[in-house]
Amino acid sequence: MASFNQGAGENRLLATLAGPHRRRLLADFDQVELRSGEVICISGERLKHVYFPTDGIISLVTTLRDGSRLEVGSIGHEGMQGSSLILGVNTSAQHATVQRSGTAWRLGAAMFRRHLGNNIALRQMLNCYMYVLMGQLAQATACSHYHQVRARLARRLLMNRDQARGNQFHVTQEFLAHMLGVRRVGVTNAANSLREEGLIDYRRGAVTILDGPALELASCACYRGAKDMYEGALGSLFSTRLRHAGAPA
Amino acid sequence: MAIAQDPRQNYLLAALPTEDLERVRKNLKLVELPLGEALYESGSRQRAVYFPTTAIVSLLHTLADGSSVEIAVVGNEGVIGVSLFMGGETTPSRAVVQSAGHAYRWPGKFLKEEFTLGGPMQHLLLRYTQALLTQMAQTAVCNRHHSLDQQLCRWLLLSLDRLVGNELVMTQELIANMLGVRREGVTEAAGNLQSAGLIRYSRGRIKVLDRAGLEARTCECYSVVKREFDRLLPAVART
Repeated sequence: MASFNQGAGENRLLATLAGPHRRRLLADFDQVELRSGEVICISGERLKHVYFPTDGIISLVTTLRDGSRLEVGSIGHEGMQGSSLILGVNTSAQHATVQRSGTAWRLGAAMFRRHLGNNIALRQMLNCYMYVLMGQLAQATACSHYHQVRARLARRLLMNRDQARGNQFHVTQEFLAHMLGVRRVGVTNAANSLREEGLIDYRRGAVTILDGPALELASCACYRGAKDMYEGALGSLFSTRLRHAGAPA
Repeated sequence: MAIAQDPRQNYLLAALPTEDLERVRKNLKLVELPLGEALYESGSRQRAVYFPTTAIVSLLHTLADGSSVEIAVVGNEGVIGVSLFMGGETTPSRAVVQSAGHAYRWPGKFLKEEFTLGGPMQHLLLRYTQALLTQMAQTAVCNRHHSLDQQLCRWLLLSLDRLVGNELVMTQELIANMLGVRREGVTEAAGNLQSAGLIRYSRGRIKVLDRAGLEARTCECYSVVKREFDRLLPAVART
C-alpha cells in the first residue's frame, strides 16, 4: 500500500469515504507527481488512469480545429480526473493538462471500474460528483457567454486560489487567455484593472491575491454558485465521514 | 397528433432489449408537451424523467441575474432529467419545450429501482449522459468562438435531426433566448441563411430547404456532437 505523503493534503472526494472503504480503495492506488504542463490525456483517446489530486490542478480544455480553446473544467483536491469512466465511457472528450504541479492518487482505469462496481459508497459519491460537474459545466457555459472578462478572470483566480490552497500561484497570461477563451490583450486589460484596484499583484506570471473579499465582489456570482453547487451535493457526505471518523473538522 | 405513439420512437428506449423494455413500459406514460412548457425549473424537485418521441426540449442554464442560454437540446435520441439518476434531487437547469410533441414520462422511483439492477437501462443512460456532457462542452466553446450564422446553422441542424419533417415552429425571439443573443442578431443571421436559399422563414415557421447547405455553412461543433453521440451509443444511432 502506498503511504500517505506527509506534505500532501487530502483529496476531498476520497475523504468522504468511511475508513474501511477508503483503506481498501487506497491500497490499489499509486501516489504520483503531477508536473506543470504534463498532458494527462488527449481528447478522444483512451483513459488509462483516474487521478484524485491531493495538490496541484488539472485543466480540462476543449479545442477547436482552428486552435481556439476554452477551459471547460478544472480539477484540484476537490475533484477527480477521468470522470467519463463513472459513466462507463473509457475515453475523454477533453484535453487534460496539468496546470499546477502537485501530487495525486492514481488508479488504473480497469481497477477503478472494478471498485466502482463493488463499492456502493464510492458509486454514490461519484454520482453526486458527476451531478456537480454537470451543473458547473452548464454554469460555466452561461458565464462565459454573458459575463465580462474582468469578472470571469476574478472568478478564475479565486478558483485557482482555492485549488492551490494559497494566495500565491503561477499562471501565464497566455494560459489565462486560453482558459477564458479570449484574446491575450483582454486578459492583460482585465488583470491590469484588478491590479490597479489593489485586488491582486501580478508580475511575470506570478499572481498574488491581495484582497480576497474584494476580488470576490469583482467576480461574477458564478464563483459562489459553483462552490454552493459542490457543497450542496457533497456537503452531507463530508459530515457523514466526520461522524464515521469521530473527528472534528 | 394522428400518428400512433410507441415508446420505441425514442431511440434510447428502442435500444433496450425486449424484456427490459417490457418491464419499463408498464410505468411509462405518454404525455403531450406544448411549445414553451417548462418540464423543470432550475432548483425544482424532479419527480420524473422524460423520453421524447416527437417533442424537442431545450436545456437552459439561468444565471443569478436571470439571463439564460441553451446548454443542450434533447429530442427522440435522449432523455431529460439525467440529474435524477446522478443522485441530485433538484435540477440545476431549466428544461423548456422547444418544439411541441410527445414524450414518455417515467417516474423517478422506477428509474431508481431499475438502476439498482445495473442492467442495460443504466448502461444506456450513463453513456447518454456522457454524450450530453460532450454536447454541453462543445456548446460552451461554440458560443465563445463561432459566428452567430454558424451557431444558428448548428442549432437548426440539431433540431432537424430530432424532428419529423423539415419544418420548425419557432419564433425568432425564442431562438434569440436559446442562443443568448439579441433578437436583431437572429433576424440578421436568419436573413443571411434565407438569402443563401438554405431556409425559408415566415410567420414563426422555419422550413429547411437545403440541409447540405446548412452543414457546409455550420461550424465543426455540429458534427463533433453528432459523431460523439453515434460513437457512444451505436445501438441508438440512426442511419
